[in-house]
Amino acid sequence: MSASVDVRPETVVPSGSRQTRRKPGRRIALWVALAVIALFALFPVYWMVLTSVTPREQVFEFPPSFIPTAITFEHYVTFFETPALLKYMVNSILVSGVTAFGAVIVSSYAAYSLSKFEYRGRKSVMYMIWSSQMFPNALLLITLYLMFDNFGLLDTHLALILSFMTFTLPLCTFVMKGYFDTIPTEVIEAARIDGARERVITTKVLLPIALPGMVAAGLFAFIRGWNDFIFALTLVGPDRRTLPPGLVIEYLGEFQADWPELMASSFITSIPVVIAFMALQKYFVEGLNVGSVKG
Amino acid sequence: MTMKLKERPAASASADSRRAPPESTGRRGLSQTQIALALVAPALVLYGVVLLYPLIASLWVGLFDRSLVRPGSEFVGLQNVLDVLSEDFVGLTLRTLVFATGATVLPFLIAFGLALLLNQGIKGQGALRGILLFPWILPGVVVSFLWLWIFNPNNGVLNGALRELGLIEENLNVFTSPWQSMLLIIVAKAWQTFPWVMVMMLAGLQAVSRDLLEAVSVDGGGTLRRFWHVTLPSLRGIIFTVLLLELLWNFQHFEMIWVLTRGGPADATTTFSVELYETAFQSFDLGRAGAVGILWLAVLSIPVWLFTKYGDRRVR
Repeated sequence: MSASVDVRPETVVPSGSRQTRRKPGRRIALWVALAVIALFALFPVYWMVLTSVTPREQVFEFPPSFIPTAITFEHYVTFFETPALLKYMVNSILVSGVTAFGAVIVSSYAAYSLSKFEYRGRKSVMYMIWSSQMFPNALLLITLYLMFDNFGLLDTHLALILSFMTFTLPLCTFVMKGYFDTIPTEVIEAARIDGARERVITTKVLLPIALPGMVAAGLFAFIRGWNDFIFALTLVGPDRRTLPPGLVIEYLGEFQADWPELMASSFITSIPVVIAFMALQKYFVEGLNVGSVKG
Repeated sequence: MTMKLKERPAASASADSRRAPPESTGRRGLSQTQIALALVAPALVLYGVVLLYPLIASLWVGLFDRSLVRPGSEFVGLQNVLDVLSEDFVGLTLRTLVFATGATVLPFLIAFGLALLLNQGIKGQGALRGILLFPWILPGVVVSFLWLWIFNPNNGVLNGALRELGLIEENLNVFTSPWQSMLLIIVAKAWQTFPWVMVMMLAGLQAVSRDLLEAVSVDGGGTLRRFWHVTLPSLRGIIFTVLLLELLWNFQHFEMIWVLTRGGPADATTTFSVELYETAFQSFDLGRAGAVGILWLAVLSIPVWLFTKYGDRRVR
């Protein structure tokens, strides 16, 4: 089934003729299998988009229609006319943005140190940061809640930003360390031998090289922060709430949720991460860092 | 890459000055090690505040009788742990294991099959792979909404389609059946996870030696033999890594279970994470929640130990 089969002369391989005869069938089987999986992968998304533009009275019809007969954008309009939802969106943008920015700065310094310096305990630090992926969020939340309560930080954006660091700090450190590892040490050595100060090395030499990595790490952190549910559900009230818990509380509390509206809101909630993800595509496929992408 | 900056004893500041003349050294006397430590310090402080201290303190709370809504706490030793053990601990562990295993194995099978298919060199492979990655990036809450709506007992498209096909007479309500609810959260989680596993497996497949595959073919080996003797052995490391990481993450997964079933019906889909959350933030019993955490980490330490012992070094 590998590509090499196609280029080999038939005479070399005894089973060649048999394989050639079976090939059209195989091609079809291949495509059928792909189609089934693609259906599984994409149907839920298709159904979300379709439901979000279906007029309310048609949504609950039987049998369900898989092709739109009438299209409306009223559910999207409703989202932007609901003050609570808009507030959640502003909170989401603010908190995820600041989290991404802060996490990238702190972890870039750390990653530079871990990647380009040798000192005792360096390995332990890396292992410690890596192992934090196993700390259950729900467990950390007990102490984080008490801690923020003590300092009067409950129901503030800062509480969310700090709690998001539990996953963005290890994530960005590993993305950035992977990135710094690809930068030759000679670049830094050369600057140092030329007599450049450490500060100059970091800002003038390293920063420009590291910038693409920092953007990637920042987008990663933004996505993870945007998608958080448990911290924003617990640490803040209605005024600081972000979109994920906001949608759950707004829509799932009722006896029968307003599905077309919820699907429209879900679509809107997904747009920022989809855009960030598209910007990241190249990075995802080429330099995926295994240990750093807790899903 | 040839030489890394070596650690220097603090006393050898003079050795530094050979490299960087005094007039150009920003802070004189700072050795390379000190600079390195200064760079990593903010991250370590943050790590201590939001990760290490909360982990230890949360487990410590498990030894106290402490409420979220009443002030004061009293040391009770292992009483909370024993309380949790004496109740439905076995069921809790089993349910967590069922979810974690199912939500690891199912997406793995889908992703592995898909990676093998995509690796055949199909036209438009890149675009297809890009599109297939979408489920992974959506917020878990949105993924939950999608499956809630598809499985909706009144107007869900699944019920509609099955009725239309004549496969069922009455609408199914998976949310009232314990095993169907479990299946739902596993399917929904699998849907969200498989793209990531697929990318990992594709990366692994690209590293499989073409020469070896060729060699087996020339010896008359068919597709199955090539797969069994070449592809699978060279993927062993990545398979192990992916499965174990997924297992660890699923072991502590919270949001999709919470949004889809709230751990119900009854406790049928209540895993460690859901139990801990409910105990702490709905029953306000922090001591008991801490005890759940202690037992949770005790169970979790088995796969963690396996990973550190046999894990693929490349992921560290």
